[in-house]
Amino acid sequence: MVDQSAEPPASDSDGSSAPPPPVEPLKLPTFEEMKAQDVFNNCAVKSIVSCVMGGGMGIFMGLLFGALDNPLNPDQMTVRQHFTHAAKQMGSKSLHMAKAFAVMGAIYSGTECIIEKARARHDMTNTMVAGCVTGGSLSAKAGPKAACVGCAGFAAFSVVVEKLFDRAA
Amino acid sequence: QMFNMAQQELESRVDLFNKMTLSCFNKCIGSRRESELNMGENSCIDRCTAKYWQVTTIIGQLLGSSRPPM
Repeated sequence: MVDQSAEPPASDSDGSSAPPPPVEPLKLPTFEEMKAQDVFNNCAVKSIVSCVMGGGMGIFMGLLFGALDNPLNPDQMTVRQHFTHAAKQMGSKSLHMAKAFAVMGAIYSGTECIIEKARARHDMTNTMVAGCVTGGSLSAKAGPKAACVGCAGFAAFSVVVEKLFDRAA
Repeated sequence: QMFNMAQQELESRVDLFNKMTLSCFNKCIGSRRESELNMGENSCIDRCTAKYWQVTTIIGQLLGSSRPPM
């Protein structure tokens, strides 16, 4: 309904410069495009994607930490035995870390999505509350004091990461 | 005469669309702007347009019911 075609402006009085390039008509997104963009707007989809990404990152970090945790000790075992033992330890550790990171990513992204949809604003308080909920839920088993500390720590960490992403984006 | 009515209707609809987009933009989209809509802005715009449309229909019905017969 808005005037969708803009004609090129009339040629200016100065004949020295070339006429300005014609303005392209405004292209509103079609219904299919909006639906396709809306897939990522869903909270469940976003939290599942974040869960998978957290799992991947956890696998990498587990491999890294597992490799770091194995000092080379040629006296007790042969090289091949040491290698298989180190590989198994790296595998188990990476699986453990992958699970932890996946859960953390899913909880954080899910709560942030829900809070932002409810508030209908894009603020820093969304990330703070979501970080607090995530940190609190992860360390809830160790008692209420540990939950508070975890909440504050994870909220601060997520605010820092969000500021990093905001500058970069 | 029908053409005039249709023209008026179209003009009013275009006006409604422009005013709705302008007011919802002013209300919903904050100062820091990136190229795509955030999720919060998206839900804000959904709510804004729904409320605007509801208000428009209610006021239109009120105006239409109290108009003196032509």
